[in-house]
Order: sequence, then C-alpha cells, then structure tokens
Amino acid sequence: MLGPVPLVVLVPLVLLTAALFLQGFRDWLTSMRTAIRLLVAMAAISMVGALVGQRLPPEAYTERYGEMLGLFIFRTGLANVFRTWYFALLGALVVVSTITCTLRRIVQLVKHPGRRISATGSLLTHLSIALIAAAGLVTALAGFKYPAPRYLEAGDMIEVPEGGFSIRVDAARTEFTEDGSLSEYLTEVTVFEDGTEVLKHRIEVNHPLNHRGIGVYQYEMLPSSKSIQCAFIGVVVPVSEGAPLHRDISVAPGEIVEIEGTDLSLKVLEFLADFTYDIETGTAGLASIRHDNPAVLVELLEAGELVVERWFFMGRHAGHRDDSDLPCRIFFLDYIPDFDNGLTRFEYARQPGTPLLFAGLGILSLGLCLTLWTRRPPGVA
Amino acid sequence: MDTRPDMIFFWVALWSYLAATVGACIYAGTRKPSVRGIVYGVTLVGLVSQTVALGVRWAASGHPPVTGPFDYMLLLSWAAVLAFIIMWRTKGLELLTAFAAPVGVLGMGVASLFPSRIEQQLIPALQSYWLWIHVSLAALAEAAFAVSFVAAVMYLIGDWRGWERLPDKETLDMVIYRAIGVGFPLFTIGALLAGSIWANSAWGAPWSWDPKETSSLIVWLVYAIYLHARLVKGWRGVGAARLAVLGFLVTLFTVLGSRFLGGLHSYGV
Repeated sequence: MLGPVPLVVLVPLVLLTAALFLQGFRDWLTSMRTAIRLLVAMAAISMVGALVGQRLPPEAYTERYGEMLGLFIFRTGLANVFRTWYFALLGALVVVSTITCTLRRIVQLVKHPGRRISATGSLLTHLSIALIAAAGLVTALAGFKYPAPRYLEAGDMIEVPEGGFSIRVDAARTEFTEDGSLSEYLTEVTVFEDGTEVLKHRIEVNHPLNHRGIGVYQYEMLPSSKSIQCAFIGVVVPVSEGAPLHRDISVAPGEIVEIEGTDLSLKVLEFLADFTYDIETGTAGLASIRHDNPAVLVELLEAGELVVERWFFMGRHAGHRDDSDLPCRIFFLDYIPDFDNGLTRFEYARQPGTPLLFAGLGILSLGLCLTLWTRRPPGVA
Repeated sequence: MDTRPDMIFFWVALWSYLAATVGACIYAGTRKPSVRGIVYGVTLVGLVSQTVALGVRWAASGHPPVTGPFDYMLLLSWAAVLAFIIMWRTKGLELLTAFAAPVGVLGMGVASLFPSRIEQQLIPALQSYWLWIHVSLAALAEAAFAVSFVAAVMYLIGDWRGWERLPDKETLDMVIYRAIGVGFPLFTIGALLAGSIWANSAWGAPWSWDPKETSSLIVWLVYAIYLHARLVKGWRGVGAARLAVLGFLVTLFTVLGSRFLGGLHSYGV
C-alpha cells in the first residue's frame, strides 16, 4: 500500500507525464510534417482503392491476383479500403489535425490582422475539411443507397422503405430521337401517402424524385418482356418445281400478314423475352425478364383456315426443331422491342450529409481562391 | 484521311504543333529570336486551327465538345497551349513558352487514338448542364497542371544537366507554383464541387469512391501537399518539382485510367 509521501510524488509525476504526452501529441498533430505525412498516407491508400477493384466477391480477387495476393487483399480490407478502420482512423487524424490548425489560425488572425483576406482564405480552407468530414460521418451513420428489389411496369405499386410513402408507376418508357439515338429513360409516377395521392412526378436520369428526404432515382430500364413493336419472320415455302420461295416479312402483334405468292398468312399472337415451358401445367412463361431466349407464338393460316399455332425461337434454339408437318418453314429472325411499355427499376438514396458536403466544398473552393488568388506568391518581395 | 471539316482543322493543328515542336528544339539549341518568332507563328496557326476544330464540333453536335475522350483531350491540350501563348511575352520564359507545341502534340496525339465521331444526342446520364461546367473547369485546371509539369520537367533537366540554356530556377519555380495555384482552385470547383453536385442528381450520392473520383482525390491530395508545404514552409527546389511532375502524371492517370478501371465514369472520359 502506498503511503502519503509516495502518492504526493506519484500523482504529479503521472499528471506531468500525461501533460507532456498530450503536449507532444498536440505538437505532433499540428506540425506541418505530420499533416503532409497524413495526406501522403491518404493518397497512398486511395491509390490502392483506385487500382484494386472495390467490393467484389472474395473469389474475384483470387481469380485476378492469385490465391495468396487475393486472400491478402481481402483479409487486409483492401477490397473495401474506404470502409476499413485504418482509413477511418487516418481520416479522423486529418480532421483533428485540421481543427487544431484552424484554431491556431484563428488566434493568429486575431493577433495579426495584416493579410486578412488570404489568412481568412486559409482559415476557410481548413474549416471546410472538418465540414466535409462531418458530412461523410452523418451520411455514414444515417444514410443509405440501394436499388429497389424488383422491376415495375405501368400499374405496379411499390412501398418506399423508410420513406412512409408508396409509388405507383403510371408509365415507363425509353425514348429515342428520330434517327434512332437513345434520348431518355423515364418513369411517370404518382406518390401516395396513407393511400392518398400527394403528387405526380416524372423520374428521369439526372431528375430524381425527392420526397420526404429520400431520393428515388431512375436506376435501370428494360423493354417489355411480354410485348414487342414488330417481329421479323422468315418464311421458306417449298414449291413443286424449282427453288423454294423465300419471304422475309415484318409483323406487328395481332396483325395478319399474307405471304406473297402463296395462300398462306400468319399472325404473331404473343411474345416472351425469355421463354420457358412448364411441363406440369403445359404452359409457356417467362424464365426472366431479360431478353435471353426470345420467342413468338405464331398462328399460321392457309386460305384463311388455321393450320397451326406454334412457338418459334430466335437465336440458339432456332432451327433445332422438326417443322416438316407445316406447309412452310418459319424462322423468327429478329424483333423491335416494345420500349413504350418498359420495365423500370428505381434506386433509393438518403444522403443526409449532402448539404453539409456541398457547403464544405463551396467553402473550400472559396477559401482556396482567397488563399491562392489574392496573396503574393511566397518568396516574392 | 478524314475529310470532315473538324478533322481537317484537327490535322492542320496537329501538324502545326509537330512543326513547332521541331522549331522549339532548334530554338533550344540556337536561341535565335527569329526561330522563336517562327515557332510562335506556327504554334498560333495550330491553336487557331484547334479552336476552329472545337468550334465546328460544338456547332455540329449542338452542345459543348466535352463528351468522350477525343473531345476532352482536344479541349485539355487547347487550354494548355493557350496558357503558354498567354505567357509568351513574359520575360525569362522564352524557352518555356516555346515548348507549348509538344503539349499540343501530346494531347492531340492521345485524342487521335479515340473515335472522333460527333454525337448529337447525348446519352441520358450526360444530359445535364453540369456536364460542361464540371468537364470544362476540370480541363482548364488540368491544363494549368500541364504548364506546371513542363516547367517542373525543365527544372529537373536544369538540375541534372546544368542551367546554362534554361530559364533560371527561380523563374521556373515560380511558374510551377503559380500554375498549380491557378489550377488547384479550378480543380476543386470543377472536378470536386461541380462533380459531386452532378453525381448527387445522377447517381444518388455525391461521392461513390468510383476509380475516377478516387484518382481525382489523389490528384487533389498531391497538389494539396505541394501547396501546403510551399505556403507554410516555402518548400521549393527539386523535391517540389518532382511532386509537380508526379501530380501531372496522376492527373493523366485520372483522365485516361478510368477507361481501363471501369466504374461510373466509364462511359465518358
């Protein structure tokens, strides 16, 4: 047990050591050398983050860099380097260093009012770093950003998570210019709160819906998976003498098109972007909404009488079937997708630190302009 | 050879810069004012042709020529050559400004590697007025960094081979500092501030650690280190010149690297 005399010695010693340590730490933190070392370290880690693909599955790293290096990248957090503890620590040190430097500059500015403009610029520049860091922290704690779980078509409703409102898709389409260039992806929506319509909005790329602190963005758009504008069908009709008759025709769904030089005609009844067949129910359906295995249901007529109703496939499944029972061979060559009745997908984002970030970047820009554009270059008399 | 008007002016500019580069080398050896006058004239022909090429592309597309790597390199090299031309009459910088043309050759040479077709219709993501604010300010900033790079390379050559034929080291040092001092705020406003505002409306977040964003941050950090050391401790000399060179190399990586690293910016430059 320590008596009163050792305590009298020990307590001041501990306090003195702590004070010296804190003094040393403060000196270290506010020195220019430390600031530069921190910036160099941040640049080096950022370089790794730029070069090494971020947030990929572990196997992607072993595949790309080999077993050992891939595992090293994944285990050391270099695969998601901007979310590691060491990057956060580095950021925190930069912010603390900047704040202490800012406080020192405020004192200097008060004591030495000369060169006030450039000194204010320098002060603003330092202050803005703290604002930008605060913005990042606020967003990291309370923000989110992720795509909606499903695609929607006109008439569909979706609840916006954490938003307290729902969205009904009124129209989803891709627009093109007259020369066929892509011009816009857009979704017309109606917003509902507690079942009551509150507003209508047109969501486009660069023009999200911002409602109750949540941004709803145009994330993806696909053409309809169940309808098309037009199908291109190739028909080969055998003739008794000579070469068979070849005809390429374009058919809009529901339209009956006669095959020239024959008494045949055909009609496209249905389209499926990714055809699949359910043996149990005996029905055709969609395997996915992607255009991976397009098929059309064609009705073939001869002298106005129905001959057959059959699915024809484009791409890899074309031509693998025996259609010898038909009076002609039919090939599904191509199609123009239906872009007017598209499938849209949103992305939801809440970034509460964004106004603070913009303020920080604005102040940073102002501070730099004042510092660098109003002061005499160092070294010039 | 492409007979589109913009491409005719493009090639006139590139060949002019090539000729001016040869002239600059001759001037570096002879130091004859008449040679410098010719270099100036030929560089000016190149700059005017390049301006016309940019103007034609603007008129034909209906929007500022700032989309795609071809337009970006054209704009960047134009701004860099223009910066040298503005400094042409500055005393003590005779040799430095004579080397405007190689920057033009480098920029336009890189541009010529990319498709030069004129896109009248921008893809949806690029349909924003932030496009030209963000890209043109970033290009102007990077042009200023190019000037600092040329001065820094001359500084390092002088340090290596002697200063007899070069501008004096104080002048070069000042050009490096001033060019970075002009470019850095422009880069902050154009690449970071305008870029984050646009990213927020297009992608739902002002910052996504996309490879181009990250490498822009590295550019910013490198020049921040330079300026911090310069302003606080008056850092100059070989180390500072090396950092200016490094800064521009990272800038080039930022401009061209995203084409290979993918990410959100991969449809553009």
